[in-house]
Amino acid sequence: MSDAQVDLAVTVGKIRMRNPIATASGCSGYGEELAAFYDLGLLGAIVTKSITLEPRDGHPPPRLVETRAGMLNAIGLANVGLEAFLAEKLPALARYDVPVIVNVAGATRDEYVRVARALDAAEGVAGIELNVSCPNVKEGGIEFGVDPKTLGGLVEAVRREVARATLIVKLSPNVTDIAVVARAAVDAGADALSLINTLRGMAIDPWTGRPRLSNVTGGLSGPAIKPVALWMVRRVWQEVASERGVAILGLGGIQFVEDVIEFLRAGATAVAVGTANFVNPETGRTLAEGLGEALRRLGCASPLDLVGRLEVT
Amino acid sequence: MAARRATADTDVSRARRLELPVVGHRPAGRDFVWLVLDAPPDWRSLPGQFVNILCESDAREARASEGRVLDEADGWPETTGLELGGRRAFGRRPYSIARVERRGRQVRLHLLVQVKGPGSRFLGSRPVGSAVDLVGPLGTHFTAPAEDRLPVLVSGGCGLAPIFGLAEWLAEAGRRVVNLFGAATLEAMPLGFSDRPRPTGERLEETASANEFAFRGVATFLATDDGSAGFRGPVTAALETFLDGAGRGEPAALYGCGPKAMLKRLAEIAAERGLACEISLERHMGCGIGVCLSCVAKRRDPGDPRGWTYRLTCRDGPVMDAHEILWDDA
Repeated sequence: MSDAQVDLAVTVGKIRMRNPIATASGCSGYGEELAAFYDLGLLGAIVTKSITLEPRDGHPPPRLVETRAGMLNAIGLANVGLEAFLAEKLPALARYDVPVIVNVAGATRDEYVRVARALDAAEGVAGIELNVSCPNVKEGGIEFGVDPKTLGGLVEAVRREVARATLIVKLSPNVTDIAVVARAAVDAGADALSLINTLRGMAIDPWTGRPRLSNVTGGLSGPAIKPVALWMVRRVWQEVASERGVAILGLGGIQFVEDVIEFLRAGATAVAVGTANFVNPETGRTLAEGLGEALRRLGCASPLDLVGRLEVT
Repeated sequence: MAARRATADTDVSRARRLELPVVGHRPAGRDFVWLVLDAPPDWRSLPGQFVNILCESDAREARASEGRVLDEADGWPETTGLELGGRRAFGRRPYSIARVERRGRQVRLHLLVQVKGPGSRFLGSRPVGSAVDLVGPLGTHFTAPAEDRLPVLVSGGCGLAPIFGLAEWLAEAGRRVVNLFGAATLEAMPLGFSDRPRPTGERLEETASANEFAFRGVATFLATDDGSAGFRGPVTAALETFLDGAGRGEPAALYGCGPKAMLKRLAEIAAERGLACEISLERHMGCGIGVCLSCVAKRRDPGDPRGWTYRLTCRDGPVMDAHEILWDDA
C-alpha cells in the first residue's frame, strides 16, 4: 500500500485527531515545553497538566523517584490555577494546530463544575478530561474515581455545564473492577474514557527507612504498568466502550510504535504518551511519524481497523 | 546579580536532543571519569548550564529500536532493557557542562561524571566510539561579577564540574580567579596533580601542585575533610580563612556548587559579609525541561503572601542567587 492509503485520523468524542497520538496529562506541561522540541501540530492532541480552581504549589520535594522500568511521582497537582491558565497558558497553545484537552482536578464537586464550565466557554479547548484518579492528593482526586455512585454524580454535574467540549473521564486503576466505574462514567454522560492513571505505589530507602517521596506514596507510571493498562483497556472496551460507542484514550507505559499497536488492539481508539516524554521529549513525534508504516505492514488503511482486534484462537 | 534566564540569552543555543559521539574518556581520581563529547559547531552554552543524558543504553542502540517496526525475525522488540528494568537506570540524568572546548569548527563538551549509581556507572563506562543521547543546553548560567570584584569559586566533590567551566570562562575574559575546592580526601579529588599536594593543616596555601586549573592561571586552594591534602576542614571554612587572610581588602563575589550543607554555609557566609553569591543547585530531575515539576526549590518571593514560591531547578536554575533560596527547606 502507498502512503496515501493510510489515513491516521481518528475521532474521540467530538475531537478530530489527525493521528491517534496524544501527550498525557502531567507529562507535557502546558504544551509549550514540548513545543521546543517539535511542532505540536504533528500530534493528534495534547492533554495539559491538571488545572484546579486555585493555583497549587504541590507537595514538598522529593516528588519523583525512578523505579525499575518506571517512575513514581507525587507532584500534588501543582499548577497555575484556572485564571492564569486561561490568561496565559491557553492563548499560548493557540499557536499550534492541535486540539487541546484540558485536564481538570478538584477538591469538591463544585470546584470541578466551576473549572469545567469556564473551560467549556473558553476558546481553544477541544476537550475536558476529568482527573478523578490522582492518587496523590488527600481531598478529591481519586476519591471521586473509585466509587461508581460518587463518580456518576460528579460526571452528571459536570456534564450539565459542558455543552461544547468533549467530556473525557480519566479512570483510576486503583479499583476492584475498572469496568464498573467505566460504566458509571458513561451512564452519567462521558463522551470518552481515558485509562489508566497511575497505580498507587511507594519506594523506601532500605538503609534510612525513609520513603523516597515526601508524600510517602505516589503514582507508578512507565513501562512497568503497561501490561496492567493493556488489560484494563481490554476489559473496559469489552464490557462498556465497544457496546456504547465510546472511544478509549489508552495510556500506561507507551514508548514505542509497537506499544501503540498493542493499545489499539486492546480497544483504544487513541493513545497518550506520558512518562516516555521524560526519557525522550520527542517521543510523541516519533510515534506519530512511525505509526503509518506499522499500519501499512499490518495491511490496515486506518488505526480504526485495529481497534479491539485480537487474534484469539 | 541574579542569575539570568538562559532562554533569554542569545549566547546560548536552543535546547535540542542530540546524539553525540564520545571522543574522550579519562578516569580522574578514584571516583570520577572525564567524558568528552563531540558537539555540533553551532553549540553555544555558558557555564552553569547542563545537559540531560539518557543513561540506559547506547544512543545508537536505543534509536535502532525506537519508532521502528521490527521484522518478525527480530523477535521480541528490543526495548533496551526497559521492560525488565534490572538495575539499569530508566530516565535521564542531569550533568553540568564542565567545559566547552572550541577549536575552529570543532566543539567538545567535557563532562565530569562521578561514578555512583546505575546511571553514572553506565555513563562513566561509555567508551570512545560510542554515542551519548542528550538534551541540552538547559537551564540558567553563571554571570560575571562586577569589574571591581574578585570571583571566588567554592566547590565540593562533583560540584567541581560547573565551577571548572566558570573558572575557564572568567580566566579567558582576563579575570583573576580564586578557586577553593574541597573533598573528603585527596583520593576523592577528580583533579590531576603534577605531584602530590601537601597537607597544610589549618593554614590555607595556594597549591603548588600543577593541576587542570593551574594551567589557566587560576589560583587553587584545596581542602580535605581528613587533611590529606591542603587545608584540613570543610571548604567553607577554607573560604572564611581566605576572606579573612589573603583575600582581605579585595571585595569578592562568591560562586558555588556542591552538597546542600556546603551551599547553605556558603550562602550564610555571603550574607554575613554582604557578598553577591551565585550557586548551582543539584536536584533529582524527572524531565529537565520544565514539565514534570519535580525539581522544585523554595525561593524567596516578596510578592507572595507566604514570602516564597517553588521554582524549578531545571528551568529557573540550576544557577540561582544564593540569597534567594530558603536553605532550610531546600
